[in-house]
Amino acid sequence: MAFSVVFQTALMLALLSWRTCQSEVLAEYSPLTPEGLNISVSSALQHLHFQWTVHKLPYQELQMVFPIEISRVETSKVIWMGNYSTTVKQDQVLHWSWESELPLECAPHFVRIKSIVNDARFPELSFTSNWSSWKEVRAPTPEQNHWLIFPRNKLVEEGSNVTFCYNSARNPGLSCYVESALIDGEQLDSNLFTFTLTNIPFIRTQGTNIYCGVNHTLKDGVVLFVSKVLEEPKNFSCETQDFKTLNCTWDPGVDTGLGYNRQPSQQYTLFDSVSGKKKFCVHNNWCNWEISQDLPATFNFTLTAENYLRKRTVSTAFALTDRVHLKAPESVYFKNVSATNATVTWKVPVFRNYVTLLCQIELHDKENVRQEHNVSIKGNGEFLFSELQPDTEYVVRIRCASARHVWKWSKWAAATLVTAEAAPSKALDVWRIVKSNEGLHNVTLFWKPLSKFHANGKILFYNIVAKNLDKKSELKLLCIPAPTNGTELTLDQGSYQIQVTANNSVGPSPTSEIVISENSGNEEVEEEKINGTKDGFLVSWNPRYGDRAGHVVDWCEHPQNLHCDLQWKYLGSNTTSTVISSDAFRPGIRYNFGIYELSTDKTAYLVEKKTGYTQELAPLDSPQVAVANLTPHSFTLSWKDYDTESQRGFIQGYYVCLKSNSTECHPDSVKEGLPDKSTCCKHDISNPKQKTFLVKNLQPESFYEFSVSSYTSAGEGPNGTFTKVTTPDGRSYMLMHIILPMMLCVLLIAVVCYWKSQWVKEKCYPDIPDPYKSSILSLVKSKENPHLTVMNVKDCIPDAIEVINKSEGTKVQFTGKPLTESESPRPANLYLLPAEDFSGLAPCISFENFTYNESACDSGSCAHIPVPTTAPPCQLGMLASPDNSLTSLENTHTHSQGEIPAGEMNMNYVSQLASPMLGDKDSLLINPPEPVLCSEYKMQMAVPSHLASPVLSE
Amino acid sequence: MDLRAGDSWGMLACLCTVLWHLPAVPALNRTGDPGPGPSIQKTYDLTRYLEHQLRSLAGTYLNYLGPPFNEPDFNPPRLGAETLPRATVNLDVWRSLNDKLRLTQNYEAYSHLLCYLRGLNRQAATGELRRSLAHFCTSLQGLLGSIAGVMAALGYPLPQPLPGTEPTWAPGPAHSDFLQKMDDFWLLKELQTWLWRSAKDFNRLKKKMQPPAAAVTLHLEAHGF
Repeated sequence: MAFSVVFQTALMLALLSWRTCQSEVLAEYSPLTPEGLNISVSSALQHLHFQWTVHKLPYQELQMVFPIEISRVETSKVIWMGNYSTTVKQDQVLHWSWESELPLECAPHFVRIKSIVNDARFPELSFTSNWSSWKEVRAPTPEQNHWLIFPRNKLVEEGSNVTFCYNSARNPGLSCYVESALIDGEQLDSNLFTFTLTNIPFIRTQGTNIYCGVNHTLKDGVVLFVSKVLEEPKNFSCETQDFKTLNCTWDPGVDTGLGYNRQPSQQYTLFDSVSGKKKFCVHNNWCNWEISQDLPATFNFTLTAENYLRKRTVSTAFALTDRVHLKAPESVYFKNVSATNATVTWKVPVFRNYVTLLCQIELHDKENVRQEHNVSIKGNGEFLFSELQPDTEYVVRIRCASARHVWKWSKWAAATLVTAEAAPSKALDVWRIVKSNEGLHNVTLFWKPLSKFHANGKILFYNIVAKNLDKKSELKLLCIPAPTNGTELTLDQGSYQIQVTANNSVGPSPTSEIVISENSGNEEVEEEKINGTKDGFLVSWNPRYGDRAGHVVDWCEHPQNLHCDLQWKYLGSNTTSTVISSDAFRPGIRYNFGIYELSTDKTAYLVEKKTGYTQELAPLDSPQVAVANLTPHSFTLSWKDYDTESQRGFIQGYYVCLKSNSTECHPDSVKEGLPDKSTCCKHDISNPKQKTFLVKNLQPESFYEFSVSSYTSAGEGPNGTFTKVTTPDGRSYMLMHIILPMMLCVLLIAVVCYWKSQWVKEKCYPDIPDPYKSSILSLVKSKENPHLTVMNVKDCIPDAIEVINKSEGTKVQFTGKPLTESESPRPANLYLLPAEDFSGLAPCISFENFTYNESACDSGSCAHIPVPTTAPPCQLGMLASPDNSLTSLENTHTHSQGEIPAGEMNMNYVSQLASPMLGDKDSLLINPPEPVLCSEYKMQMAVPSHLASPVLSE
Repeated sequence: MDLRAGDSWGMLACLCTVLWHLPAVPALNRTGDPGPGPSIQKTYDLTRYLEHQLRSLAGTYLNYLGPPFNEPDFNPPRLGAETLPRATVNLDVWRSLNDKLRLTQNYEAYSHLLCYLRGLNRQAATGELRRSLAHFCTSLQGLLGSIAGVMAALGYPLPQPLPGTEPTWAPGPAHSDFLQKMDDFWLLKELQTWLWRSAKDFNRLKKKMQPPAAAVTLHLEAHGF
């Protein structure tokens, strides 16, 4: 025990004395001072690499600190101070680097270093050396001494900061530019300037130009290559289609390649840590990897993107079966295709048969996916579709994936399937229109075409069978080719059952049946108005008959068209209302609805009729108005033919607008302004059935204008053109009412008179002139000779008669000797000449026929005045004055020239015909005149002058 | 003057038309040996076409280099471009050149320029620029062949390149990229000057080769020439 204590004390004293001795030695020889300081320059990286050693370490290793000072331009301008701490081993060469923000070519750098022992394990070795001497460092520059600006050919990433320097020692006034922009440099030394570009952008692959010059003379320039920042590959994944090759893909991001070969595009490397294999990828976004069949099918890939400045990696690990992306299935075929079933088969290209595949099968029709199935297969696939629709085109799509892990589905493989046809599955929706005509039923059948879903194939024709229910044996068969949707039948008045079927290539549809009863088409049902809305019509009805199978409502969607587009709707037996809506309904169109009850035997009975508008509109036109019963104080308007059915709303009444000079309106009318700023009195006729209107309380001989317009609930129709009416004068109106009957009476009397003219004639002026009744006698007697008497014709004995002149149209009848041809051309003067034997016996007697002297008649005395027969021969001519005779002859002559007035002519001829010699021969015979020795019958007319004068001379 | 792509195509169409109709020109379609006349004319036309094609290409390429290279008044010192064949020559010297020497200088110049141009193409970063340069190189190759044809027609031998003097384009790491850009600039500029000079050369040759009696000047008018 005592020995050990003594030993320890002695050891401690020895150590202590050794330490003291050692300290003295170290202080004197500085054995731990850095030695062999070597500094190398990396201009491109702007790095100073330090290398030194520490000799004579007392221990194998020692924790030391090396303070370092770096000066620029001159030693006194220390720009950086720092410590490098490290564990120094025996004979170790120490390395340390320092990066300068300023290019090392810009200025000389000075470096010194010292060491400090600072090892807690050896506190006794605490020691600080002296600074080493300053070591100057100059970056090597090429021989070309015209380089003024540094760094040269620098490659940095976008967003970096770069400090440039330029030396203007040999080029006073040197100024520098970055891409044409002048840069203000910071003076570092007398001729040394620096400037720093911060957050440098990428401008172009050819680099950013920085150049210096004096007075626009280029002296030097450098290119700063700015690379885009390398991005991490995105969406890196690998998959196999065939278990032989893995296809790895990724999104490379931006290309960091630069011009002048300063930096190629980033390179990609694929490394599998499981197999330890590595592959350089040629393409920048995909790479193929051969799968070794003898290795376990697991991979741990690392994708490395790399350029000169940066490296980026992404990794993925997977089992091969989890990255199966199969090719689309092939050889998709159908077999055993029927109307409702079909089997699809397919193959999946190259894959290992031991891998179970999951396949998705979709069955599409033209609109939707109808069936979806998932099927697990090994090898070839097969699937049976059922519940298919007949005669339908489907598209079957199939895709597959590994059943173990669905990484990605393969692309779809598609094929078209068309199922076979089947008989139509639904009876036709049939309706009819029945019209009775001359004891026959004209039945128009309509049916709606079957939907594709129910047709089950192409409908080829429709069969129609009409059975007479009264005569069971009577059948009518019709075959209507598709796509006709209706036909017409003419049936007699009996009851008929009509059956309709649609037929495709497989067979007929179920039968549709309707019954036409005897009364069909003859139902009399009152029409009821209903109000529609823009959404349609609410049609309701009251059930009529007890047993009914349902209801049918029919209507025309386009009632104004020739083909009204009949629509119908079958409704249940208990339904009493329905809403009829259609996109075809338009405002202002009247729609008529027929409501039928269907009996249990399928007979339809019309029970109600409705009519209405979805929206009533104002009328489009106005009635054509006629004016009647025009009086001084009133007139009547009527518009019987106005078609209210075609109007755009229910006519609720009429407005009669009356314009007059009066400013006041009748109390039952309203004054209303017109567009032309005039006013009218408006009468409202609220009864639409009233189609006449009496306009009264008018002023005679006044001017009125009126128009008539109809109105509906939506408003008034257009005001028609104003018709002008002028009331008649009251007095003339009255006169018309008195004079007209009077004139009628006079006319009646005249007619009666004419009718009774014979009677009047006989009474007033008989045909046979009676000389004794003639007034001439009294007239002559009273004026000239009171003894004058009427000559009796029978006293003259004519022996010859000669016609000397015959006027046109005159018919002369002769008695006695007929004329010979030689005698006929003689002038048509009638001479009563005595026979030659008597020529000298008596003078010629002539007389004027005054029988029909108008003056005599005019005087009112038409009585025959008897002429005395005692007149002396040849004195008769002297009764008249010579002047009178001459005048008479002249008149006669003149008339012979064809200018004789008809009346006058007639009168003269009447007198001739009325002579006893000609016209009234019988009278002559009955009352023969007294014989006269010589007498001359003097014509009252048509005596030629050359013939007349000799007579006068005689 | 900037040339648009449409102008270039129009020029090409015009040139093709002219070349197509050259045999129909009586003065150039003499019976017997036509002599070097047609070849010289063809070479002259091709020179003018290339001159305008280069204007479009140079504009694109200088924009690709960036400022100050695309600035109109940029005139850098000819530092690294000393190896480029100079087109500039004293007028008296040029007048005194004989036909053989004139043609030989043209041939040698385009041989070198074509080689440099191919180097330029290799380092272009964009595909479109590479295509334009390749197209121009093809045309320049055609011009070289055309000059060789004229020389052959006149009985002059083609100059043989000395072994080892084939110009190379290998920018080393110490080479400044800015100087490289300046070389590119000078290459384009020298090429343009050479094409201008060649047009004068071949015009002079053309006039010289035409017989006085049958002298017909084919006046080529094209928009932009």
